[in-house]
Amino acid sequence: MNGSLTDTIVAPATPVGRSALAIVRIDGPQSSAILESLGCSPLPDERHAVFVRLKKDGELLDECVAIRYLAPRSFTGNDLVELTLHGNPLLVQRVVSAAISHGARMAEPGEFTERAVVNGKLDLVQAESVADLINARTPLQAKLSLSNLGGSLSETAGRLREGLLYVISRLEAALDFSEEGYSFIERDDAIARVDESLNGVQRLNDTFRRGVASTRGLEAVIIGRPNAGKSTLLNRLVGSERSIVTPVAGTTRDIVRETIELGGLPVTLSDTAGLRDSDDVVESIGIDRAREAARRADIILQLIDATAPDEEPVETSAAVIRVYTKSDLADVPEGELGISVPAERGIEELLARLDAVVRDQFVAPEGSAVLVNERQRLAAVEAESALRAARFSLADGSSEEIVLVDLYRAATALAALTGGISNSDVITEIFSKFCIGK
Amino acid sequence: MSRFDVVVIGGGHAGAEAARVCARGGARVALVTMMREAIGRMSCNPAIGGLAKGNLVKEIDALGGLMGEATDRAGIQFKVLNRSKGPAVQGPRAQCDRDLYSAAVRAILDAEPNITVVEGAVTAVSPGFVVALGDGSTLHAKAVVITTGTFLRALMHSGETRTQGGRFGEPSAEGLSDSLRAFGLELGRLKTGTPPRVAKDSVDFSRLEEAPGDPVPRPFSILTDALPQPQVLCHLTYTSDAAHNLIRSNLHRAPMYSGQIRATGPRYCPSIEDKVVRFADKERHQVFVEPEGLEHPWLYMNGISTSLPADVQDRVVRSLPGFEQATIARYGYAVEYDYVNPQQLDPGLQVRGVAGLFLAGQINGTSGYEEAAAQGLLAGINALQFVREENPLVLRRDQAYTGVMIDDLITLGTEEPYRMFTSRAEHRLLLGCDSVYERLTPIAERLRILDRERLRRVEARISRIARAREVTATPLTPDKTTLEWLREAGLSLSEKSSVERLMQRHDFDLDAFLMRAGTALPKVVSALRELTEEERESVVSAARYSGYIERQRREADKVSADEELRIPATMTYGLPGLSREMTEKLSSIRPASLGQASRIPGVTPAAIAILRMHLRRSVDVR
Ligand SMILES: Cc1cc2nc3c(=O)[nH]c(=O)nc-3n(C[C@H](O)[C@H](O)[C@H](O)COP(=O)(O)OP(=O)(O)OC[C@H]3O[C@@H](n4cnc5c(N)ncnc54)[C@H](O)[C@@H]3O)c2cc1C
Ligand SMILES: Nc1nc2c(ncn2[C@@H]2O[C@H](COP(=O)(O)OP(=O)(O)O)[C@@H](O)[C@H]2O)c(=O)[nH]1
Ligand SMILES: [Mg+2]
Repeated sequence: MNGSLTDTIVAPATPVGRSALAIVRIDGPQSSAILESLGCSPLPDERHAVFVRLKKDGELLDECVAIRYLAPRSFTGNDLVELTLHGNPLLVQRVVSAAISHGARMAEPGEFTERAVVNGKLDLVQAESVADLINARTPLQAKLSLSNLGGSLSETAGRLREGLLYVISRLEAALDFSEEGYSFIERDDAIARVDESLNGVQRLNDTFRRGVASTRGLEAVIIGRPNAGKSTLLNRLVGSERSIVTPVAGTTRDIVRETIELGGLPVTLSDTAGLRDSDDVVESIGIDRAREAARRADIILQLIDATAPDEEPVETSAAVIRVYTKSDLADVPEGELGISVPAERGIEELLARLDAVVRDQFVAPEGSAVLVNERQRLAAVEAESALRAARFSLADGSSEEIVLVDLYRAATALAALTGGISNSDVITEIFSKFCIGK
Repeated sequence: MSRFDVVVIGGGHAGAEAARVCARGGARVALVTMMREAIGRMSCNPAIGGLAKGNLVKEIDALGGLMGEATDRAGIQFKVLNRSKGPAVQGPRAQCDRDLYSAAVRAILDAEPNITVVEGAVTAVSPGFVVALGDGSTLHAKAVVITTGTFLRALMHSGETRTQGGRFGEPSAEGLSDSLRAFGLELGRLKTGTPPRVAKDSVDFSRLEEAPGDPVPRPFSILTDALPQPQVLCHLTYTSDAAHNLIRSNLHRAPMYSGQIRATGPRYCPSIEDKVVRFADKERHQVFVEPEGLEHPWLYMNGISTSLPADVQDRVVRSLPGFEQATIARYGYAVEYDYVNPQQLDPGLQVRGVAGLFLAGQINGTSGYEEAAAQGLLAGINALQFVREENPLVLRRDQAYTGVMIDDLITLGTEEPYRMFTSRAEHRLLLGCDSVYERLTPIAERLRILDRERLRRVEARISRIARAREVTATPLTPDKTTLEWLREAGLSLSEKSSVERLMQRHDFDLDAFLMRAGTALPKVVSALRELTEEERESVVSAARYSGYIERQRREADKVSADEELRIPATMTYGLPGLSREMTEKLSSIRPASLGQASRIPGVTPAAIAILRMHLRRSVDVR
């Protein structure tokens, strides 16, 4: 990526704002020297917290606790200093500037994690998990990131790779030692083992929808005819008057979004313009946006006014929940879910339905490996296609060296998934294409 | 006192190639070796080539080396291994008459007026280069190529007895190891073994399985039109429980197990002791019985290499079917010798820091004639280039097995004798024997080391194949009768299709095609008929595997940028951010390119990133 990996960088590790404490990290070969110049002399032993009065040009900056980590036993794998200051943005800023005046450079976003990956302290999946963990908004999300940080995806991919190496090594032996009178592996056995790997990779690929949903959260869109009660429902679910509610059809025009937690995941609800043919330019744009949002949604709440039941068809691959509104004013057809916001009827039931849909269709199974981003999915898809090709050529009797081309391709793809990085260009590519790490 | 451009020490397979190529390139060469009659001697089995090794021999032939020619002159059974697989992994192999083989090597060297053969043992090499011989004489040279094989401070083990010597009946080389140390080189110890030889007339062949060669033997060298020797059979037999029990109960008498030998032997060439211990559940081990020559009275027992005492060897051999009455003519033995850790060499096989001193062959930790010869050729070429004050030749990993081998040696080093395997080449599909002349001969031509005749033949071959590829790739506009005929032959050829497309089909039968397509597709058939059988197979498989081959080509090209980012020889690794461990690794291997650096075990991507940044920066400055 951007900066050099060899110099010393500094940045606050906690968000800007007032708080009890704030942490500043200095990473690189000069980190200890900078700590010393800031008034910490003699330098403390590795991994020993010491109390330091930080000074610049004789002037007191702050009182802090400093810890020194020495390469390679640190988060980044380099010499690293952590300063725990008082949580005042002004103090933090002054300490960072002081470090810079002693030779450090301001860190780029994600640079500490990049260094950890490059030094082999974290594999890529783990680095991505760090980012996910930091960004987690619900306890379930945090748990999932922790599981990947602990290596459960890396382990699964690693196991798959081992299974492949089993086949690869035997096919290689069949090429290099064909005269030895051994049979290293039967075709049927090789096919069965490749099938097993293929299944494993497919299972992994199937986790992607859940994995993405679990890390990014879900989009739920409320649609229906004007005056069906969409804004009323959004306000009720959010618990505040976010959307303007009037008896006038066509009140809501732009999309109103609000996030709540459902089934353990953050779900962003969108209130949209009612679907109808309209001559109003602004309303028409709103209606187009509503249809577009519905196309991309994970979940659709389709509202039907029980007093004037009439459905507008929508195109979507999302999970659709049909809800009859105004059940206090009219009867709801047999077997359908009816709600009334003023009468506070059916709301619990609706929430339970939403919860179930989220859990059944979107939450990643706990403790198991899941793919959570596009980079991982591309690697798994590549592995799957390579394995299919290998299986095909195994079955049609191709010679081992041909089958092996695809098996190596699969193994390499899986290595990218576990972050077992063989080629430094891969890293550069990843860090330039995918924004990961903190 | 005699002055030469190049002195080659050792007349083994490496030394012979080195001397020959230097002479061909116009250098004045002295080949110093202990025994003139042992030049080109096969220390171990009487065979050349095999899987991956056969590719090395073809590469040598394409670069103007001698091993292929000598093999064709002495070969008594030719067989292409992995014939049922694709051409990229087929390996030609030839059983040789061992006496005819070394005679052929001597004849080839004698034909070079620029080579002076000096019989004698080199006891020291000193800077400048002064080469001192045992009889007190000295030779002076601009460049020296050391190819002393298994001879440096060599010890032979047979059961409990130990004898100094590099090969049966030949002395070891003392003294030279000290010269190498004086040049700053670090030496190690390796071992290898050889099986017993059995008297041919004591064997009951009716009890052995026959192992014939190919019905139509294929020569190694592009210079060979016809193979001069008659073709003979090899045989197979198998060990049994009786042999295994004998070995097990006498293990304490085997030098490797008693602790008498501590050096490391090759895992892939295990002694029969090793096989019995490590693969205890295997019921039988194959023994490939090779004739040592047409008239030679001995048989080589491939598969039971051993250093057990003589009485055990007798009983083990006699437990084999057909060998009940056999007498051993020479007992198997192991040899232990000094080698130089090849990580101390540069990609041109020159000792780092000693301009003009080159090492090749078993001294670099390899094993095998072909591995030795390929290195000898490259070291010879680079000694020649050194004398000419021109750039050394370094073959890339996607260019030749020789390139793979040398890169492995200098980058990874070796803890056991290194042998070539096809799996060591990540771009294997690009390195088939069939494409060797296209890949390498133009390089040799530029180096001015090729004879006219070879060049003429290679050019003819390349253009024949190109013509055939062209006509087979041309879309056909078949007339009605052709279409009819093709359909009859079970080949549905749509319009605008080509013969190449036909060839891609798994059920394509070239012979049937040639027999029947003559009248319908005369141009294609005549172009294909101009090819040899081997060339035709190459055209068909190039068509069939083109997708895979192109993919490997692209993969190879992807990494080539790192190969081209050269690291100057003067590089100092005290770079900011490089850990002490990385600095140590890089300064001890001193990689020549970033690509090589990235293959050093344990060098992290971080170190490579730092190095890349540094190299790019210094390139920018310049
Ligand atoms: C007992 C034994 C078992 C082997 N087993 C195997 C095996 O199982 N598999 C396998 O692949 N290979 C085996 N080989 C190895 C194979 O023979 C070698 O790899 C190959 O011959 C090496 O070629 P080279 O040119 O490096 O050296 P060599 O063929 O050993 O030739 C070295 C030459 O240098 C000469 N020489 C040495 N020192 C001096 C000196 N100081 N002055 C002058 N001349 C000198 C010697 O006389 C000799 O002619 C075995 C070799 C031996 C001896
Ligand atoms: N009685 C009753 N009135 C409702 C209910 N939901 C919405 N309304 C009324 O219907 C009208 C339109 O509601 P609104 O939420 O703006 O509909 P939208 O156009 O779909 O957003 C407002 O006057 C609401 O008060 C309901 O469940 N029961
Ligand atoms: Mg509304």
